[in-house]
Amino acid sequence: MTRNAVKAKEEAAKQNTDKSLARRDLFRVAGLGVGALGAVAAGVTATGGTAEAAPAETVSTGYRETDHVRRVYELSRF
Amino acid sequence: MSKAVDHTVPPAVAEEELLRAQVYGLLARLLSRAPDADFLAALAGMAGEGGEFGAALNQLAEAARGCDPAAVVEEFTTLFIGVGGSERTPYGSYYLTGFLNEKPLAELRVDMARLGIARADGVREPEDHIAALCEMMAGLIGGEFAPEDGGIVDLEAQRAFFDRHVGSWAGRFFADLETSPSARFYRAVGAVGRSFLAVEARAFDLAA
Repeated sequence: MTRNAVKAKEEAAKQNTDKSLARRDLFRVAGLGVGALGAVAAGVTATGGTAEAAPAETVSTGYRETDHVRRVYELSRF
Repeated sequence: MSKAVDHTVPPAVAEEELLRAQVYGLLARLLSRAPDADFLAALAGMAGEGGEFGAALNQLAEAARGCDPAAVVEEFTTLFIGVGGSERTPYGSYYLTGFLNEKPLAELRVDMARLGIARADGVREPEDHIAALCEMMAGLIGGEFAPEDGGIVDLEAQRAFFDRHVGSWAGRFFADLETSPSARFYRAVGAVGRSFLAVEARAFDLAA
Protein backbone atom coordinates (compact mmCIF):
# COMPACT_ATOMS: atom_id res chain seq x y z
CA MET A 1 0.00 0.00 0.00
CA THR A 2 1.39 3.40 -0.90
CA ARG A 3 1.69 6.10 1.66
CA ASN A 4 -1.16 8.02 0.06
CA ALA A 5 -3.45 5.02 0.21
CA VAL A 6 -2.68 4.56 3.88
CA LYS A 7 -3.38 8.21 4.49
CA ALA A 8 -6.69 8.04 2.62
CA LYS A 9 -7.67 5.00 4.62
CA GLU A 10 -6.85 6.77 7.86
CA GLU A 11 -8.86 9.78 6.75
CA ALA A 12 -11.85 7.60 5.95
CA ALA A 13 -11.58 5.82 9.26
CA LYS A 14 -11.37 9.15 11.07
CA GLN A 15 -14.42 10.42 9.22
CA ASN A 16 -16.35 7.32 10.18
CA THR A 17 -15.34 7.75 13.79
CA ASP A 18 -16.44 11.38 13.70
CA LYS A 19 -19.77 10.35 12.27
CA SER A 20 -20.42 7.70 14.86
CA LEU A 21 -19.38 10.11 17.60
CA ALA A 22 -21.80 12.68 16.26
CA ARG A 23 -24.49 10.02 16.17
CA ARG A 24 -23.73 8.99 19.71
CA ASP A 25 -23.90 12.60 20.87
CA LEU A 26 -27.22 13.09 19.13
CA PHE A 27 -28.74 10.09 20.86
CA ARG A 28 -27.38 11.19 24.21
CA VAL A 29 -28.66 14.74 23.88
CA ALA A 30 -32.00 13.43 22.67
CA GLY A 31 -32.44 11.55 25.93
CA LEU A 32 -31.60 8.07 24.69
CA GLY A 33 -29.40 7.39 27.67
CA VAL A 34 -28.20 4.01 28.83
CA GLY A 35 -30.49 3.77 31.81
CA ALA A 36 -33.56 5.44 30.36
CA LEU A 37 -35.60 2.31 29.89
CA GLY A 38 -34.53 0.71 33.16
CA ALA A 39 -36.02 -2.70 33.80
CA VAL A 40 -38.11 -2.40 30.66
CA ALA A 41 -35.03 -2.81 28.46
CA ALA A 42 -34.44 -6.44 29.39
CA GLY A 43 -38.03 -7.30 28.67
CA VAL A 44 -38.18 -5.94 25.16
CA THR A 45 -35.03 -7.05 23.42
CA ALA A 46 -35.23 -10.75 24.10
CA THR A 47 -38.27 -11.05 21.88
CA GLY A 48 -36.82 -11.16 18.37
CA GLY A 49 -34.39 -13.73 17.14
CA THR A 50 -36.53 -16.50 15.80
CA ALA A 51 -38.80 -14.64 13.45
CA GLU A 52 -40.26 -11.23 12.97
CA ALA A 53 -43.09 -9.61 14.74
CA ALA A 54 -46.38 -11.19 15.45
CA PRO A 55 -48.75 -8.30 16.02
CA ALA A 56 -51.83 -10.38 16.65
CA GLU A 57 -49.95 -12.99 18.61
CA THR A 58 -51.18 -13.13 22.17
CA VAL A 59 -49.81 -16.52 23.17
CA SER A 60 -46.08 -16.57 22.64
CA THR A 61 -43.66 -18.64 24.64
CA GLY A 62 -40.93 -16.14 23.87
CA TYR A 63 -42.80 -13.24 25.40
CA ARG A 64 -43.85 -15.19 28.43
CA GLU A 65 -40.35 -16.33 29.14
CA THR A 66 -39.17 -12.81 28.67
CA ASP A 67 -41.47 -11.57 31.39
CA HIS A 68 -40.18 -14.28 33.64
CA VAL A 69 -36.57 -13.51 32.85
CA ARG A 70 -37.16 -9.82 33.43
CA ARG A 71 -38.67 -10.58 36.81
CA VAL A 72 -35.70 -12.70 37.76
CA TYR A 73 -33.33 -9.88 36.91
CA GLU A 74 -35.48 -7.41 38.77
CA LEU A 75 -35.38 -9.54 41.88
CA SER A 76 -31.72 -10.47 41.64
CA ARG A 77 -30.78 -6.82 41.78
CA PHE A 78 -31.10 -6.85 45.56
CA MET B 1 -30.11 -4.92 32.70
CA SER B 2 -27.11 -5.36 30.44
CA LYS B 3 -26.74 -9.00 31.40
CA ALA B 4 -30.17 -9.86 30.15
CA VAL B 5 -29.54 -8.06 26.90
CA ASP B 6 -26.16 -9.58 26.11
CA HIS B 7 -27.70 -12.92 25.31
CA THR B 8 -29.72 -11.65 22.42
CA VAL B 9 -27.62 -8.98 20.75
CA PRO B 10 -24.09 -9.55 19.51
CA PRO B 11 -21.54 -7.62 21.58
CA ALA B 12 -20.34 -5.88 18.41
CA VAL B 13 -23.43 -3.69 18.49
CA ALA B 14 -22.50 -0.35 20.06
CA GLU B 15 -24.33 0.83 23.12
CA GLU B 16 -26.41 3.54 21.44
CA GLU B 17 -27.40 1.11 18.70
CA LEU B 18 -28.53 -1.33 21.37
CA LEU B 19 -30.66 1.43 22.88
CA ARG B 20 -32.31 2.02 19.53
CA ALA B 21 -33.13 -1.66 19.32
CA GLN B 22 -34.58 -1.50 22.82
CA VAL B 23 -36.83 1.43 22.02
CA TYR B 24 -38.06 -0.30 18.88
CA GLY B 25 -38.64 -3.40 20.99
CA LEU B 26 -40.59 -1.36 23.52
CA LEU B 27 -42.79 0.17 20.83
CA ALA B 28 -43.34 -3.23 19.19
CA ARG B 29 -44.44 -4.69 22.45
CA LEU B 30 -46.80 -1.85 23.35
CA LEU B 31 -48.37 -1.86 19.90
CA SER B 32 -48.80 -5.60 19.55
CA ARG B 33 -50.94 -5.93 22.66
CA ALA B 34 -51.90 -4.08 25.81
CA PRO B 35 -49.32 -4.21 28.61
CA ASP B 36 -50.18 -6.39 31.61
CA ALA B 37 -49.83 -5.29 35.24
CA ASP B 38 -46.20 -6.48 35.47
CA PHE B 39 -45.16 -4.62 32.38
CA LEU B 40 -47.00 -1.49 33.50
CA ALA B 41 -45.07 -1.65 36.77
CA ALA B 42 -41.79 -1.86 34.83
CA LEU B 43 -42.85 1.05 32.62
CA ALA B 44 -43.64 3.12 35.69
CA GLY B 45 -39.98 2.81 36.72
CA MET B 46 -38.59 4.46 33.59
CA ALA B 47 -36.83 7.79 33.99
CA GLY B 48 -36.18 9.88 30.90
CA GLU B 49 -32.75 11.40 30.42
CA GLY B 50 -33.59 14.74 28.90
CA GLY B 51 -34.70 15.94 25.50
CA GLU B 52 -38.11 15.61 23.93
CA PHE B 53 -37.76 11.85 23.93
CA GLY B 54 -36.84 11.82 27.62
CA ALA B 55 -39.88 13.95 28.41
CA ALA B 56 -42.07 11.54 26.44
CA LEU B 57 -40.65 8.60 28.38
CA ASN B 58 -41.46 10.37 31.64
CA GLN B 59 -44.96 10.97 30.38
CA LEU B 60 -45.31 7.28 29.56
CA ALA B 61 -44.00 6.27 32.99
CA GLU B 62 -46.48 8.64 34.59
CA ALA B 63 -49.33 7.24 32.50
CA ALA B 64 -48.31 3.70 33.48
CA ARG B 65 -48.32 4.62 37.16
CA GLY B 66 -51.86 5.85 37.21
CA CYS B 67 -53.63 3.27 35.11
CA ASP B 68 -55.73 0.21 35.60
CA PRO B 69 -54.58 -2.79 33.48
CA ALA B 70 -58.15 -3.69 32.52
CA ALA B 71 -58.77 -0.16 31.28
CA VAL B 72 -55.63 -0.30 29.11
CA VAL B 73 -56.82 -3.55 27.54
CA GLU B 74 -60.11 -1.90 26.74
CA GLU B 75 -58.35 1.16 25.36
CA PHE B 76 -56.14 -1.02 23.17
CA THR B 77 -59.16 -2.83 21.78
CA THR B 78 -61.01 0.39 20.99
CA LEU B 79 -57.97 1.94 19.37
CA PHE B 80 -56.63 -0.93 17.33
CA ILE B 81 -59.13 -3.74 17.17
CA GLY B 82 -62.58 -2.35 17.85
CA VAL B 83 -65.90 -3.69 16.74
CA GLY B 84 -66.85 -2.46 13.30
CA GLY B 85 -63.63 -0.60 12.68
CA SER B 86 -60.97 0.57 15.08
CA GLU B 87 -60.11 4.16 15.78
CA ARG B 88 -56.64 3.81 14.27
CA THR B 89 -55.38 1.60 11.48
CA PRO B 90 -51.72 0.96 12.21
CA TYR B 91 -50.67 -0.37 8.80
CA GLY B 92 -48.18 1.21 6.44
CA SER B 93 -50.21 0.44 3.36
CA TYR B 94 -53.26 2.14 4.83
CA TYR B 95 -51.32 5.28 5.70
CA LEU B 96 -49.53 5.44 2.38
CA THR B 97 -52.39 4.60 0.02
CA GLY B 98 -55.62 4.75 2.00
CA PHE B 99 -56.13 1.00 1.61
CA LEU B 100 -54.87 -2.14 3.32
CA ASN B 101 -52.68 -4.70 1.54
CA GLU B 102 -51.68 -2.37 -1.28
CA LYS B 103 -48.41 -1.95 -3.12
CA PRO B 104 -46.39 -0.79 -0.07
CA LEU B 105 -47.06 -4.17 1.54
CA ALA B 106 -45.86 -5.97 -1.60
CA GLU B 107 -42.70 -3.86 -1.59
CA LEU B 108 -42.17 -4.61 2.07
CA ARG B 109 -42.40 -8.34 1.38
CA VAL B 110 -39.75 -8.06 -1.31
CA ASP B 111 -37.41 -6.23 1.08
CA MET B 112 -38.13 -8.70 3.87
CA ALA B 113 -37.19 -11.62 1.64
CA ARG B 114 -34.00 -9.85 0.60
CA LEU B 115 -33.04 -9.15 4.21
CA GLY B 116 -33.86 -12.66 5.38
CA ILE B 117 -36.84 -11.68 7.53
CA ALA B 118 -39.54 -14.32 7.80
CA ARG B 119 -42.99 -14.04 9.20
CA ALA B 120 -43.65 -15.92 12.44
CA ASP B 121 -45.64 -19.11 11.97
CA GLY B 122 -49.35 -18.82 12.42
CA VAL B 123 -49.47 -15.05 12.05
CA ARG B 124 -52.02 -13.86 9.54
CA GLU B 125 -51.68 -10.17 10.21
CA PRO B 126 -50.16 -8.21 7.28
CA GLU B 127 -46.49 -7.54 7.84
CA ASP B 128 -46.79 -3.77 7.55
CA HIS B 129 -48.33 -3.48 11.02
CA ILE B 130 -46.44 -0.88 13.04
CA ALA B 131 -45.49 -3.42 15.73
CA ALA B 132 -44.09 -5.82 13.13
CA LEU B 133 -42.07 -3.04 11.52
CA CYS B 134 -40.66 -1.92 14.89
CA GLU B 135 -39.67 -5.49 15.60
CA MET B 136 -37.99 -5.73 12.22
CA MET B 137 -36.02 -2.55 12.89
CA ALA B 138 -34.91 -3.95 16.26
CA GLY B 139 -33.83 -7.17 14.54
CA LEU B 140 -31.95 -5.33 11.80
CA ILE B 141 -30.07 -3.24 14.37
CA GLY B 142 -29.27 -6.30 16.47
CA GLY B 143 -28.02 -8.22 13.44
CA GLU B 144 -30.55 -10.98 13.92
CA PHE B 145 -31.35 -11.54 10.28
CA ALA B 146 -29.28 -13.14 7.56
CA PRO B 147 -29.62 -11.19 4.30
CA GLU B 148 -29.94 -13.19 1.08
CA ASP B 149 -26.69 -11.83 -0.32
CA GLY B 150 -24.79 -13.02 2.74
CA GLY B 151 -23.83 -9.48 3.69
CA ILE B 152 -24.45 -7.62 6.91
CA VAL B 153 -27.16 -5.09 7.61
CA ASP B 154 -25.22 -1.87 8.02
CA LEU B 155 -26.53 1.57 8.90
CA GLU B 156 -27.09 2.32 5.23
CA ALA B 157 -29.32 -0.74 4.83
CA GLN B 158 -31.19 0.16 8.01
CA ARG B 159 -31.71 3.63 6.67
CA ALA B 160 -33.09 2.38 3.36
CA PHE B 161 -35.54 0.11 5.16
CA PHE B 162 -36.51 2.84 7.61
CA ASP B 163 -37.09 5.51 4.95
CA ARG B 164 -39.18 3.25 2.80
CA HIS B 165 -41.27 1.36 5.32
CA VAL B 166 -41.25 3.27 8.62
CA GLY B 167 -40.24 6.91 8.28
CA SER B 168 -42.61 7.36 5.35
CA TRP B 169 -45.73 7.08 7.52
CA ALA B 170 -45.18 5.98 11.14
CA GLY B 171 -44.56 9.53 12.39
CA ARG B 172 -48.06 10.45 11.22
CA PHE B 173 -49.48 7.34 12.87
CA PHE B 174 -47.87 8.20 16.21
CA ALA B 175 -49.05 11.80 15.97
CA ASP B 176 -52.58 10.51 15.28
CA LEU B 177 -52.30 8.23 18.29
CA GLU B 178 -51.42 11.20 20.47
CA THR B 179 -54.67 12.88 19.55
CA SER B 180 -56.98 9.84 19.44
CA PRO B 181 -60.16 10.60 21.39
CA SER B 182 -60.16 7.20 23.13
CA ALA B 183 -56.47 7.23 23.92
CA ARG B 184 -55.26 7.83 27.46
CA PHE B 185 -52.27 5.59 28.10
CA TYR B 186 -51.61 5.32 24.35
CA ARG B 187 -51.30 9.09 23.96
CA ALA B 188 -48.05 8.77 25.84
CA VAL B 189 -47.03 5.85 23.61
CA GLY B 190 -47.71 8.08 20.61
CA ALA B 191 -45.45 10.79 22.02
CA VAL B 192 -42.62 8.30 22.64
CA GLY B 193 -42.94 6.90 19.13
CA ARG B 194 -43.10 10.27 17.40
CA SER B 195 -40.17 11.79 19.26
CA PHE B 196 -38.09 8.63 18.81
CA LEU B 197 -38.66 8.49 15.05
CA ALA B 198 -37.65 12.14 14.80
CA VAL B 199 -34.33 11.32 16.50
CA GLU B 200 -33.88 8.30 14.25
CA ALA B 201 -34.38 10.35 11.10
CA ARG B 202 -31.87 12.96 12.27
CA ALA B 203 -29.35 10.30 13.25
CA PHE B 204 -29.61 8.63 9.86
CA ASP B 205 -28.92 12.00 8.25
CA LEU B 206 -25.79 12.37 10.36
CA ALA B 207 -24.48 8.99 9.33
CA ALA B 208 -25.04 9.63 5.62
